[in-house]
Parts: sequence; C-alpha cells; structure tokens
Amino acid sequence: MEAPPVTVMPVTGGTINMMEYLLQGSVLDQALESLLHRLRGLCDNMEPETFTDHELVYLLKGQQGNPFILRARRSLSHPKAPWHLRYLGQPEVGDKSRHALVRNCVDVAASHSLPDFLNEMGFRMDHEFVANGHIFRKGAMKIVVSKLSRILVPGNTENTERLSLSYLVELSVLAPAGQDTVSEDMRSFAEQLKPLVHLEKIDPSKQRH
Amino acid sequence: MSGGPAVRVSIESSCEKQVQEVALDGTETYVPPLSMSQNLAKLAQRIDFSQGSDSEEDGAEGEPRDREWGKQEPEEEEGTVKFQPSLWPWDSVRNNLRSALTEMCVLYDVLSVVKEKKYMALDPVSQDPTAGKTPQVFQLISKKKSLATAAQLLLKGAEKLTKSVAENQENRRQRDFNSELLRLRSQWKLRKVGDKILGDLSYRSAGSLFPHHGTFEVIKNTDIDLDKKIPEDYCPLDVQIPSDLEGSAYIKVSIQKQAPDIGDLGTVNLFRRPPKTKAGTQPWHVKLEAAQNVLLCKEIFAQLSREAVQIKSQIPHIVVKNQIISQPFPGLQLSISLCHSTGEKKNHRTSPEKPKPDDHLYVLEHNLHQMMREFHKQQLSSVVMPHPASAPFGHKRLRLAGPLAYDKAEISSLQQSEGLLEKIIKQAKHIFLRSRTARTIDSLASRIEDPQIQAHWSNINDVYESSVKVLITSQGYEQICK
Repeated sequence: MEAPPVTVMPVTGGTINMMEYLLQGSVLDQALESLLHRLRGLCDNMEPETFTDHELVYLLKGQQGNPFILRARRSLSHPKAPWHLRYLGQPEVGDKSRHALVRNCVDVAASHSLPDFLNEMGFRMDHEFVANGHIFRKGAMKIVVSKLSRILVPGNTENTERLSLSYLVELSVLAPAGQDTVSEDMRSFAEQLKPLVHLEKIDPSKQRH
Repeated sequence: MSGGPAVRVSIESSCEKQVQEVALDGTETYVPPLSMSQNLAKLAQRIDFSQGSDSEEDGAEGEPRDREWGKQEPEEEEGTVKFQPSLWPWDSVRNNLRSALTEMCVLYDVLSVVKEKKYMALDPVSQDPTAGKTPQVFQLISKKKSLATAAQLLLKGAEKLTKSVAENQENRRQRDFNSELLRLRSQWKLRKVGDKILGDLSYRSAGSLFPHHGTFEVIKNTDIDLDKKIPEDYCPLDVQIPSDLEGSAYIKVSIQKQAPDIGDLGTVNLFRRPPKTKAGTQPWHVKLEAAQNVLLCKEIFAQLSREAVQIKSQIPHIVVKNQIISQPFPGLQLSISLCHSTGEKKNHRTSPEKPKPDDHLYVLEHNLHQMMREFHKQQLSSVVMPHPASAPFGHKRLRLAGPLAYDKAEISSLQQSEGLLEKIIKQAKHIFLRSRTARTIDSLASRIEDPQIQAHWSNINDVYESSVKVLITSQGYEQICK
C-alpha cells in the first residue's frame, strides 16, 4: 500500500498566518449593567454567555534580551474543554491611520497536560490570573468584558482578589493577514459603544515600565 | 416688638365724671356717678318687653293677639296707655310683666275650658281636597324637568368627548413623523449616523454570513401640501432601500421531464403578483419585508451556485445566469432559478407565457428557505462560543480535534458533509420517486383485479423518506401467503 502523498510545500495561509486586530477599553463596575445591555442589543442575538478562565503566562528566557511569551488558558466553567495556547507577536508598525492594534497570532488547542509539557520544554510560569465576565459576538468580531483577579496562592483558583474596580473590554477579530476592512468595521462598532466605553488602540510595548 | 430698652407706659383714663357746676373759686363739682342699683334701674328701663327673641314674626303676631284680647283686658290696655315715665324706673318692667301674666292666665283659662269640650270645641282646619292631587302631577312635571336638564348636561359632556376622540383620530391619521419612526423602530433595527437614520435589514444579526450590507435609509416625507387634503395612505416616513434589493423575488424550483434547448437556459424570469398588502400595514413595512425577502433569495441562490461549482458530482451542474440545472436522474431535470422582478411590472404583464401552476414545487422552495434559516441559526448557537474565551470561534467538537488527535475520517464526520444543493437534490429525488411509486402502485391496482392491491400512504413523512403500506388481499381468502 502506498503511503499517502506528503505535500512538500510549506503550509501557508489557513490558520497559521492569522492576525489579531484588537481594541481595548475599560468601564467602571457601576457602568457594567448599561454596557452589557447595550452590547446585548448591538451584537448577535444569542443567549448571554459568561465565562471563567484561568490564564497562565509562561516565559522562556533566552540569551538575548526579550523573553518568549506563551499564554496558556483554560476554562474553569467548562473543565473538560481543551486548553488554549496562544502566541502573540509584536504589534505591527504599519501606517498610523490603522485604527486597531494588529499583531501576529497563533492559536493552538492543547490537552490537559499542557502545563507539564511547557515546564519540561523549559518555560517558567511568570504570573497567572483569573478572568471572568461575558463574551459577545457580532459576525467575526468578539467582544469580551472581563474582570481580572489575582491569585493569592499559586495554583489555587478559589482564593482570588480583584485587581481593580473596573472591567476590561476587548474587541478582537481574527483574520488572515492583509484585510484592512476589518479595522474599519471594528472602528464603526466602537463608535456605537461611545460614550459608554472608549475603545482604542493601546500599544502594550509602550505600557511596560 | 423691637429689642430696645423697656419704656414705661402709663395709662390714665379720661375724666369720666361730668361736671355739674364750676364754683367761683374754680372748684368743679362733679355729678356723682350712678350707684349700682341706679345703674341697674337705668338699664331695666331700656328693656323692650314687646320684642321677643324671634324679633319680627313674634312682634307681628304679638300685635293682632293684643287686639284680640283687647276687649277682655281693657284694664291692661289702660294700664299700658297710662304709662308715666316719671314713676320709678321699675314701673315699666312691672307693667310688662303684669301684662304677660294676664295673657298667660287667659290662655290657661281657654285651654281648661276647651278641655271640657262643653262650651268650646276645637275643630281641625279643613284641608282643601284639590290640594292633594296637584302635588303629584306637580312632582311628575318637576321630575321630568329635572331629568331633562340632567340629560342635557350629560349629552353636552358626551358631545365634547366624541369631538375630542374624533380629533385624536384625525391626528393619528395625519401620522406624526416621530410616532411613525417609533413604530418603525419597534420592528426594524435603526441607528443614527450623523444626521441620517440608517437601518439594517440583513440577516447578519441572525447568523447570516452573506456579505451584503443591507442598510436602508429613513427619510422624511416632506412633499406634502398642508393646504390640500391629506391622502388616505399618506405616510410621513419613507424608506430608501438599496437599488439591488428593489422589487420582489422568489426561488422557482421545478422538475421537468424533457431537457429544454441550450438556448433557453437562463431565460427564466417569471414573476407572480405582488403580495396583497394587509390593511393596516404601513407601506414602509411592506417595502422592507420585500427587500429582505429578495436578500434572502439572493443568499440562497449564491450558496447554491457556489456549491454547484465547487462540489464534484458525476453529472456536473450547470449554472447559467439566474438558473441552476442539475440532473438527479437520467432524463429528469431539476431547475432552480431566482426570479427577481424589479417592479416595472406593467410591461411584462403582457407576456403570454403563464407558468403551469404545478410546475413550481412550493414545497422545495419552502424547504430551501427553511434550510437557509437553519444554517443561520447554527452560526449563532452557543456551541460556537469559545471556552476559554481567548480561543477563536469554531465548533466545540472541532476544537478537540487537536488534543484528542482525530484522524481525517473523524474530522470529516464532524464537519458539514452536505451542502444546500445536495440536500435539495435529494429532496427532489425523493419527491419524484414517491410520485412515481404512487403512480405505479395505482396503475397496478387498477389493472389487476385479482388479487386486490391497496396502498396506504403514511401522513407523516420525512423529507427524504416516506412510508407506504401495501396490502395485497384476495377476496374470500384470509391470507394470501404464509
């Protein structure tokens, strides 16, 4: 029996070369209800979906300066769901007129042995946190309203402490590279959420101190 | 009272004693003030006994009474006439009291005489017999009058109410722009962009992935002349739909036995009557619904034609202009066409070609719509939502493919295997086979007299399967075979 043909061409496109377009903002706790109400009206007509996730951030310190960061995330509300491993590249410095933050993004689903695997590979866990909130969708756009909490005892997700009195709002789209109409749609959607929340492009590299 | 220092105020009564005479040496001799008894006497003189507490009436009655008893009491009259003011002040009081006593005595005497009923009798004053009737008639008339006035008041009030209700209805008929806009907003998605009001009539929020934007604009109808009478169907609001969604459309699915000429392909452009507007629906609603239907038909046709081109089958499907032709069975042709009439229907009405009523399979058209909506609904199911939240959208089970190392067979079993076109072809095959089977059984049953053949078709069928029970019996025998 012949072996099935193996493609020798490198795999391009598909899910490998996806870019994440991101806009972020935040609302205070008091404004959460009105924001959820508005999102419920603007987004696709589905039952509201809540989530509770536990995210661990792993670092691989190489010889050079910048460490390699991988984010591993699992769902606490759906324990049987697979882990999600994500790599986010540097934000693309394109023209300044682009409205959203664009960066390379690789998403992989992983089994429950992921933390051990990463430890064996040499990654070390830098920090972890718990996020819970609501998730909405409009077409290809995903809107996540989440509250981040700090884990006091490593590994214990029950004992958490809220990091702030506000909710983080993120509008993101996963699209193949080169589609610039996506950022236009995101901007027009963000316009509709003003003045409840101002979603804007926040460069993570500028945040670091 | 201001908070200044207290001021002593002394009060002195004015000199109350009257001066009687002034002596030569300047001393004044005052009239001595009246003593208590003198004061009382002076006041008693002023009492008027003829005036009772009921003032006038008693006074008037008192006078004739005085005259009546005048003859019997000449002495008392003389006594009152002989009143001399120079007598002591209590004299008038004494006289009045004496006359009162006399009158009381007389009254007492009369009453005692009347009580014996020998010399004096009391007779009731006779009632006027006619006075009894008139009160009733009078009552009736007065009641009638009062009822009439009450009725008039109520009628006036009712008139006012009906007038105000009629005015309200008139206002409503005139249809204010804002109230109409509110009504529009209760049924369609609207948003304000700058100074324009845009709306969305696509199925995107219901799960469609069709790239048509589906935005319509709401404009104010200002070409109304307020002086002229407002027409019946006036609406202050007008919607402007995208030009490619104008008119009405439907998907015509038909099965034909013979294959038409190649040249005839793509010429299907039939239309049916525009749907009758229900009384009470606004014109914009009809317009928007028609546009939405056109959009849905376009999406269905786009999906079908995409699949027709992509899916490999033994007999390739032909896609020509607005028609898709495929052959489910040899000799049988299934044609699906999008019939879109843009509204200039007056010219086309003269075309003599009338479609045969049973040519168009309404069932399949309905099924197409239904399948499209099911596809939309699947897009929105919560199975698609990612847990954890950072994961991309996608079917929940497909996300397990990586960790659980699914092979190709398992993955392909998870994904949608059949497209819209394949499904509809299967359904068309089923319909054709069912009708052919029924015809065959019926022809056999009519041709063969012995044994008898009966066919019971089940009412409840699937789109892909039907069930029929065929009974073959022979007259006189209980069972035909063991």
